[in-house]
Amino acid sequence: MTRAKADFLRGLWNENPVFRLLIGLCPALGVTSTAINGIGMGLATSFVLLCSSTLISVIKNIIPAKVRIPSYIIIIATFVTIADLSMNAFAPELHRALGVFVPLIVVNCLVLGRSEAYASKMPVGLAAIDALGMGLGFTWALGALGGVRELLGTGELFHVQVMPAFFEPWGIMAAPPGAFLSLGFLVAIMNIISARMNKKTA
Amino acid sequence: MRESLRMVLVLTVIAMVSAGVLSQVYQFTSPIIAENQAERMESGVFEVLENVDSVEFIDGPFVMFRAYDADGNPVGFAYAGEGSGYAGPVRVLVGVDHETKEVTGITVLEHTETPGLGTQIEEEDFRSQFVGKDTDDDIEIDTDIDNITGATQSARAVAQAVRENLSEAISIYEGENH
Repeated sequence: MTRAKADFLRGLWNENPVFRLLIGLCPALGVTSTAINGIGMGLATSFVLLCSSTLISVIKNIIPAKVRIPSYIIIIATFVTIADLSMNAFAPELHRALGVFVPLIVVNCLVLGRSEAYASKMPVGLAAIDALGMGLGFTWALGALGGVRELLGTGELFHVQVMPAFFEPWGIMAAPPGAFLSLGFLVAIMNIISARMNKKTA
Repeated sequence: MRESLRMVLVLTVIAMVSAGVLSQVYQFTSPIIAENQAERMESGVFEVLENVDSVEFIDGPFVMFRAYDADGNPVGFAYAGEGSGYAGPVRVLVGVDHETKEVTGITVLEHTETPGLGTQIEEEDFRSQFVGKDTDDDIEIDTDIDNITGATQSARAVAQAVRENLSEAISIYEGENH
């Protein structure tokens, strides 16, 4: 596997931010009451991650080490504000649903973490690929969490009724505890699948 | 000394570029955002009043609209109210009939209530209880409005939002009509 491919795939599975590294959990638990909210939040975070990682990688050599964290935070906050304003203008429904979690992307440790651990040391291309992989990994994780919770909590998926009429929605799945329950089960399922895959390759 | 100068310089440049970019983005998006909000409010007027053809904004301490039917006759008005919900403000738009000054309908504009519990304030069963209320009614949970199990605070917020501005909205509306 080439370096770029490995960097990209890492975020999707082996180092998936939500299911593997268990970081960025605040939005993962807070906004995943429906699949569309989860995906929307994931894409907004991916945008910020991709833009800030790329830019930080480009200017990494001119930022003095002692002020790198404030520099990163200003850059991240700028892209978050751009995402927040654009969503408010062009996707007002989604923006209303995600509420305060959009500005809070600034303090998502996934974004600062990738900047500090990866983008500040790697060439631009790899930094962008890593950010894209991590962002998409975050997006599918939040979409999966939201999908499970929406399906069991309301009987719908993407706001379309999919469960048979006799299905009684489990209210707790739409409520905050449902986020913890779903996350726990999804992490367990991912561990089982990974263990099986490792056995095969070993 | 040289190093600290460079730190100051780099941070300043980054902050200035950031401010410049953001002011551009803000200028570009703010009219669209304002338009979205006004549109959402206006479309709410059509939900809370019947036979509405055109809507006119009324200036006042809170957002109000006058509504007319296709012949230009007044059908009533709608006003925005706010109550404190469980997780944040609950904003509603209330329609009031021109003649009777009774509530014709309400719609929830904005809220951050608990999914599955507090979100029931958006449901027809709950909202329809406000229809027909006027200033003589209490408009209070557990007296003339049924509570929502597990979402008392959300239900109270809606009642508060409807109740608080009602009499003032009527006097503004009547004052404007004279």
